[in-house]
Amino acid sequence: MSHKQVVMAGTDTRDLTKLAEYEAVGGYASLAKARTLGPEQITNELMASELRGRGGAFFPTGRKWSFVPSPEQNPNPHYLVINADESEPGSFKDNEIISRVPHRFIEGCLITAHAVLAKHVYVYIRGEYLGPYEILVAALEELKQRPDLRGDVTIVVHRGAGAYICGEETALLDSLEGKRGQPRTKPPFPAIAGLYASPTVVNNVETIATVPAIVEMGGAEYAKLGVPNSRGTRLISVSGHVERGGNYEVEPGISLKDLIFAPELGGGVPGGRAVKAVIPGGSSTVILTGDELDVGYDFDSLLAKNTAMGSAGVIVLDERVCMVQLGIRVSEFYEHESCGKCTPCREGTRWMTQILRKLEAGEATERELDLLLSVCDRINGKCLCPLGDTAAMAIASYVAKFRDEFVAHLDGGACPCGDHSPLDGVLAPVAQHIHDHASELVPA
Amino acid sequence: MAQVVPNTLKGFGVTLKQVFKKPLTQQYPEYKHPVYPRFRGRHRLHVHANGLEKCVGCSLCAAACPSDCIRVVAAENTPENRVSAGERYARIYEINLSRCIFCGYCELACPFDAITLGNDFEISEYNRDDLIYDKEMLLKEPVKKVPVADRSLYDTPIPYYRSHS
Amino acid sequence: MTDHVTLTIDERTVTVPKGTGLVETAQAAGIEIPVFCYEPRLGPPVGACRMCLVEIEGMPKLQAGCTLTAQEGMVVRTARTSPLASEGQNSTLEFILVNHPLDCPVCDKGGECPLQDLTFRYGPGNTRMTFDKRTQEKPIPLSPTIALDRERCILCYRCTRFSESVSEDNDLVPLNRGANTVIGTFEDQPYRSRFSGNVVELCPVGALTSTQYRFEARPWDIQESPSVCGLCPVGCNISATTREGKVKRIQSRNHPQIDEGWLCDKGRFTYGHLTAADRIKTPLLKGEAGFEPLEWDDALDQAETLLRAGGDTVVTAFSGTESTEQAYALGRLLRAGLGANGAVLPEEIPTALDAYRAPLSSIRDATTIVILTRDLVADRAPIVDLWVKAARRNGATILTEIPEEKLEDAVLISDNAAHAAWLAQDIDAKSAFYLPRTPNGRGVADAWSAAGDGEASNEEPRVVIVSGDDAAADPAVRALAAGADFVIGIGLFQESFEGLADLVLPATSYLERDGTTVNLEGRVQRQRRAVIAPCPDELAWISKLAERFEVEVSPHASLAFEEISGRIYGGVSFAEIGEQAPLPPAAEKGAPVPAPKPVQVPVADGLRVIRYRPLFSGPVVDRVPEVEFQKADHEVGMNPADARERGVIDGDMVTVNSRGNFHRFKARIVRDLPAGTVRLSTYAEGDLTEFVAVRK
Repeated sequence: MSHKQVVMAGTDTRDLTKLAEYEAVGGYASLAKARTLGPEQITNELMASELRGRGGAFFPTGRKWSFVPSPEQNPNPHYLVINADESEPGSFKDNEIISRVPHRFIEGCLITAHAVLAKHVYVYIRGEYLGPYEILVAALEELKQRPDLRGDVTIVVHRGAGAYICGEETALLDSLEGKRGQPRTKPPFPAIAGLYASPTVVNNVETIATVPAIVEMGGAEYAKLGVPNSRGTRLISVSGHVERGGNYEVEPGISLKDLIFAPELGGGVPGGRAVKAVIPGGSSTVILTGDELDVGYDFDSLLAKNTAMGSAGVIVLDERVCMVQLGIRVSEFYEHESCGKCTPCREGTRWMTQILRKLEAGEATERELDLLLSVCDRINGKCLCPLGDTAAMAIASYVAKFRDEFVAHLDGGACPCGDHSPLDGVLAPVAQHIHDHASELVPA
Repeated sequence: MAQVVPNTLKGFGVTLKQVFKKPLTQQYPEYKHPVYPRFRGRHRLHVHANGLEKCVGCSLCAAACPSDCIRVVAAENTPENRVSAGERYARIYEINLSRCIFCGYCELACPFDAITLGNDFEISEYNRDDLIYDKEMLLKEPVKKVPVADRSLYDTPIPYYRSHS
Repeated sequence: MTDHVTLTIDERTVTVPKGTGLVETAQAAGIEIPVFCYEPRLGPPVGACRMCLVEIEGMPKLQAGCTLTAQEGMVVRTARTSPLASEGQNSTLEFILVNHPLDCPVCDKGGECPLQDLTFRYGPGNTRMTFDKRTQEKPIPLSPTIALDRERCILCYRCTRFSESVSEDNDLVPLNRGANTVIGTFEDQPYRSRFSGNVVELCPVGALTSTQYRFEARPWDIQESPSVCGLCPVGCNISATTREGKVKRIQSRNHPQIDEGWLCDKGRFTYGHLTAADRIKTPLLKGEAGFEPLEWDDALDQAETLLRAGGDTVVTAFSGTESTEQAYALGRLLRAGLGANGAVLPEEIPTALDAYRAPLSSIRDATTIVILTRDLVADRAPIVDLWVKAARRNGATILTEIPEEKLEDAVLISDNAAHAAWLAQDIDAKSAFYLPRTPNGRGVADAWSAAGDGEASNEEPRVVIVSGDDAAADPAVRALAAGADFVIGIGLFQESFEGLADLVLPATSYLERDGTTVNLEGRVQRQRRAVIAPCPDELAWISKLAERFEVEVSPHASLAFEEISGRIYGGVSFAEIGEQAPLPPAAEKGAPVPAPKPVQVPVADGLRVIRYRPLFSGPVVDRVPEVEFQKADHEVGMNPADARERGVIDGDMVTVNSRGNFHRFKARIVRDLPAGTVRLSTYAEGDLTEFVAVRK
């Protein structure tokens, strides 16, 4: 079964990191086409394409662009900011896009800049993505020689310093401004007052890399791909206990089961073990049990299961995994990455971790399990940004769907899995997020 | 006028009757009547087993005091001069017993069970100034012992500070 | 009603001006939305603490009330009527308390703590936290005046926001991330800012406390006296906290037109001078071996003898720290009793500037501000500097050179009264502020003029009265006194008069007296006695002394003020001044003021020295060891360009020399300093000439 490729098109046969190669497959033609169109026409094409943001929030991209005020309404310079701070555990699609089709991404930036009247584009790339960063910079170097393509747009690549929260758009903007990366209160939304209090469009890498294709084939044509509310293609990161972990570009609507078991995709679970659970959209989403895999991998179908596609990071967990240990890793991650601005997230994630550790040690009672759920419930919906809310929802879903396993830990039960719960290839422990080796990552 | 003589005789009658009764008078101070176990008398300040004062000088007793007879001046503990656990201790702790009404609110207000009301009631002095008890006096065992009635005769719960210190 | 919106809060309908914050709107409806991090004076709301969660119809999640503004038709439910909001606020408090130590009995904030209050009103009754709370090293001395307890910190970011966007020193910052976030300074340097003390007042818990107030009193032990600071010409409204007859701390008493609730550290932390070791408590007479105490009757006899000997040649040198009433009483005694009209007044305020009178808060809304001061504004009148910063944040243009053209909406700030009066007319400024050198120089000048008239004697003064410690430190006054036969000193500290005066009479500090003071706006404000002075009030003995010269001087400040007010302040009474004094209306614009002669700036090789009086200097500051670290006497201020040229960065030790005299100073980069000049404290080594060389 072959899958329609839009973002990664052409990568199977050619090295598209080279400008000449990319142009040979028709690269930068969309840019030329876009420049003959007015900004409004491009925005209309995007609206017609029903493209929704690929960062996780699923906001219609065309509508986002349409919020940008005209220069008459707001004389401040307009900015385009690309969110390449891909830090969600289980998600690594932007890495692949920048590494393999940097020029398609750059073309998307230039088209978007044209559409939102921006002369400055900032690419905020995750600090640990040194490889993609170097590829992107090399691609931009090539572009320097081509003023005909570049026009009067400046693209600046800014490397983050290892904060998950800077993937939240307003925290990203604060960080870009040189401040502490903490989310801002909304409103005002970035489209009105974003970077340096000026109109700013913040888009995900995949969203932007899709734009050239939409301009090329037309919005209506693009909207024929996929299923309602999830149009086009998605680059899905499959990881965890699967034979063939990696990024796969597929049309949404494909069943989760196929995604995991199809030989050209996930290729099934090693050793023929059973799937215990699947985290469908990066660690911040509600977990699905092994019995819930007959679900379409698209916005509406997953919403019906009370979960989300998020940033399309599918993490497969086989039967050996201890859910409490998984909870600790996820909770530790969010505790470590909480920015510390709002109270429920800062204090609540820490408390959650403490309770989970007690559970894992077998020292907890039924009361603590209820307390954990209550703490999750009390964090959820009260935070400044989605970090705390999603962390609480994710942990609460582990308890809700695997309550028996949690109960088995209670009253001196200790962990039934003991040390045989293999999570290391699935979700890194928090110690690996601590940047003692930061100096190695920063080139002199 | 006619009533005077019989009324006077009636009065003498009462007196005469008492002559043959056993006297009620107790020979205080030779004989001391035992007080009830929870009788509220003179205050005491307490120390932990390790010798540190329980009082941290928080002044909550002074805040609770309805007759405003407690004065607390706090200071900071230093490694050289550690008086209580934690950061703060009472540098001055004074109770003006001539104003105290022995209501026991200070005892209730104390978050550390540092002050309690004892059983001593013999606190009269010749000089009013002597009725201002300072911290040293309050920390010491009372000089005069007061007999306390047998606790088992009364349905009296044992206070927390007695059972936990 | 287009500029108003009507909305419903807890079933109450309320109409407020458009743009009003939801917290204020609720307040207008008599409903409390509890807050920790929300403080409108610190700039836009941040929504960090989540205490203000409210339910808004049509919004799926609870919203942070502090970040919203009132909208037409909005339906808001607070914890009073919404179980959801109530649960939300309860959750927030539970989370705050998860790691907040319950050491309230030990904590200085206990009893006046918003966290305690709100926990009682909205919080859970008990804790479900069974783990060890996060512990930190404590208390950490953030500076000699401020102690930081990181365990108690609830990370509302009020202090760091103050540091970032009010005082703009950026010294206080949040460090680390998430639950490990702590407040601190760069590399644990002391938090050295003219305004650092405000963070103590801003802190909603006991995380930032004053080291001076540490464990000194509890809220139920203390009294508050509403008064006015007497240490600089701004006249910030203060509340003096006293316990058992001693001042324990100074807090702000927000006067929105003057200080907006901010105080400088000099005003806040230097009350310790009241109990200085060399405080004068009895009259002193110069004897064989220094000063000897004197009985009051003998002292008055002595004073009478000296004054009679001086006759009409007596000259009085004022400090500008006296209350208006004290200066008036002295003036009556000398001018009416002796005909001695000679005085050295600290300030002469041209009345022409009264036509440009405006409240200090008007600086914030200015579009152009012209600042022509030799000293930094922050050194002369610190709070004015905060207003200027606020204006700059609002986009105002700051000019530091005499503008060429008319600037009708400009605000002029100058430390040269005559020049300011001329310039204000010349550029047709909207308002103008003269920054005097002394706290009440203007009131003293007013009082002296109200006390009598007549010309000063031409003879050499036989007796000089030196009033106040600042006058005693003034070289010009000392030179004048050196020529006199006798010198009578009136002051707080014995050391100031050592070798100067023959007879010294004790004075009271601004915290120990009733009276009035006139600030730089020309606003008459009342000072109230917070504590009893260790000596009789000046008015009391001046009145006794005046009796001997057959002059009637009231020993009561209120009566003295009535007299002064009748003569020069249009008859306003103490009661009309009240606790928050109103600003008198601006005067009519008068006759043109002649242009002052331009001052020739000498030119020579090297950097020109500008001597200035740092904020933290003077006899009062010298007696408070806690603020020693704030002194700038061993620092040299340099322009950034000059510093770069010499390879000097902020904090470097540099050698300053002229004509063979070498001194080592710590370099401070001062952005507002003109190129080619360096700033040195007047208290720094004096043998440097006007031009110096600086090298690393």
